[in-house]
Amino acid sequence: MVAVKELCKSLVQPLLAVIIGLLTGALVIAAVGESIIGTYQEMWKGAFGNFYFFSSTLARATPIMLIALGLALAFRAGVFNLGAEGQMVLGAISATLVAIYLPAPGIVKILAALVTGIVAGGLWSLMAGYMEAKFRIPLLISTLLLNYIAVLFASYLVSDPFQDKSGSAALAQTVMLEKGAWLPKLFAGMSVHSGFIIAIVAALLLFWVIRFTPFGYEVKMLGHNPFFAQYGGIHRIKVMLTGMFASGAFAGLAGTVEVLGAHYRFVDGALTVPNFAWTGLMATLLANSNPIGVIFTSILLAAFQTGAMGVERNTEVPLELASVIQAVLILFISARFSYSWWKQRKKKGGESHGVA
Amino acid sequence: MEWLDWSLVSSTIRMVTPILLAALGGALCSRVGIFNVGLEGLVLVGAFAAIVGNHFTGSLFLAVLFAAAASVLFSLLFSYMTIGLKANEIVVGVAINFLALGLTTFALRAVFDVKGAFYDKDMAGLPRLEIPLIHDIPVLGEIVSGHSPLVYLAFLASILLYIFFYRTVTGFRVLAVGMNPVAARSLGLKTTRLQVMAILLCGVLCGVAGAQLSLGQVTMFTEGMTAGRGFIALVAMMMGQSHPLGILASSLLFGFMDALSIRLQGFSLPTQFTSMLPYVLTIVAMFFLKDKNGGASSNQQSAR
Repeated sequence: MVAVKELCKSLVQPLLAVIIGLLTGALVIAAVGESIIGTYQEMWKGAFGNFYFFSSTLARATPIMLIALGLALAFRAGVFNLGAEGQMVLGAISATLVAIYLPAPGIVKILAALVTGIVAGGLWSLMAGYMEAKFRIPLLISTLLLNYIAVLFASYLVSDPFQDKSGSAALAQTVMLEKGAWLPKLFAGMSVHSGFIIAIVAALLLFWVIRFTPFGYEVKMLGHNPFFAQYGGIHRIKVMLTGMFASGAFAGLAGTVEVLGAHYRFVDGALTVPNFAWTGLMATLLANSNPIGVIFTSILLAAFQTGAMGVERNTEVPLELASVIQAVLILFISARFSYSWWKQRKKKGGESHGVA
Repeated sequence: MEWLDWSLVSSTIRMVTPILLAALGGALCSRVGIFNVGLEGLVLVGAFAAIVGNHFTGSLFLAVLFAAAASVLFSLLFSYMTIGLKANEIVVGVAINFLALGLTTFALRAVFDVKGAFYDKDMAGLPRLEIPLIHDIPVLGEIVSGHSPLVYLAFLASILLYIFFYRTVTGFRVLAVGMNPVAARSLGLKTTRLQVMAILLCGVLCGVAGAQLSLGQVTMFTEGMTAGRGFIALVAMMMGQSHPLGILASSLLFGFMDALSIRLQGFSLPTQFTSMLPYVLTIVAMFFLKDKNGGASSNQQSAR
């Protein structure tokens, strides 16, 4: 019961924010001189209009959800991991290379690739954690820097030693995986693949870990009050390092699943251009780091994005409608737009607020 | 080959300007204990506003002013959210980036009715200043002379900021706020006001950086034309330890690597490693200079 209550509580704020986000979206649509209702209808159709679009939304939600889950764990432990992008890319490239070059039957390839992706993402993230623990280099900075190094390194790998040289155009990408190593689609001809099931299972697993295991309790304690947690005998560094490894592992898994289930090869930029990492960060914040909430918020954000694609196809309104709505959403969430804040505001005697 | 190398230095100076200006803005924020991830968005807004200002007023001076004003408006939002509402600065910064990308794209559609990019061949870019005497000196003239006024402004700004931080009373107060806000407040410093002022000044610098981006090198605006320069500025700021002259050096390194990687493309060498070098160097630098940079980030950790 408590879990359900907590879930409801973590959903009230996002709903309020969604409404305000949509209202702001309406403003900018009006500024471009398009019909607001018509545009939102297109958006709905683009995201949920028929089964094909709905499955595309779920496919897009898959990497976002996995990244968001990893970040949820990190945030709960009070560590700010901004390196999801690099961890995802490094996990994806290692997994791709294993899936291409491991001489084994398809299913073994898939499993080996998944494990490689998880381990590569996790270790890359752990490195930042280790630098914080040992040399006191702030995580915030090291994770951000390691992103660039990972993305550039992967870009080098696919544009020189492991480039697909068979095609006529020399694109920066690896060769195609053989069919046996593809993650199966959930429905024939639809874009959603079994990675989505992996993400849902991961969310439930993480929920269970946070709620019912001693490790989850330690993470929660550390996030709430690090000093008290340490006083209570929790080894801060150990939990931080585990949290970093786990969040990097989730990001690596996200990249791997996206390659094995959607692209079937590592294409330079295919994981960074859609902004999966930052969207995942938003999904976590929207869900207030609740793993079950993350399922809904990542589908919601993915729906904004696939919906906006539909909008761009059929109207004059640009794709960036999704960015505007998402940004306003996050601004409102981050302002802790809660009752306590309203009360405080009343006490002070209403100060004006000007959010775009 | 000789002249080729000198032009490399000259193009470094041009490329470094937006990064340097934004990094100085970021340093102002970091010196008052705020880690501003929104630099990218602020520069983008400045770049767009500069084009709008230029198109409608026809005056380059007003265009740059307009760019600064637009970025200040966004940094006002940033400061209200982070200081007024105590929202997490990383989150607000990320949101500002998304908002800037979305709103500039929409405004491009609404104001100019074009998709992707706006270019007007009648629109004048920033003039190239040819410094009278220096221009005639062979090598030096080529490097130093013939840039837009904003390039000189950027270098001047880093020196002015150095003087401000280390030679003026207000500068010392700003540093004090960043080192220990509680102690600063108990001494009677108006910490909130200093923080807001720093963020707004950061907005001015980012706006000018944007103007240089859209009016200095090319005279056009394209969607998302900052292309990560704001984040590079953030890294340059970290590498320079938020010290104005340190930032000058680190920005020059980034600009040089940028110019070099464009040059190396002609020789089919992997450019990824030259682009990677500044980031690796920054991490290495953190090993040696770790103690100075505790302020902004340790705040961050405890804020969660």
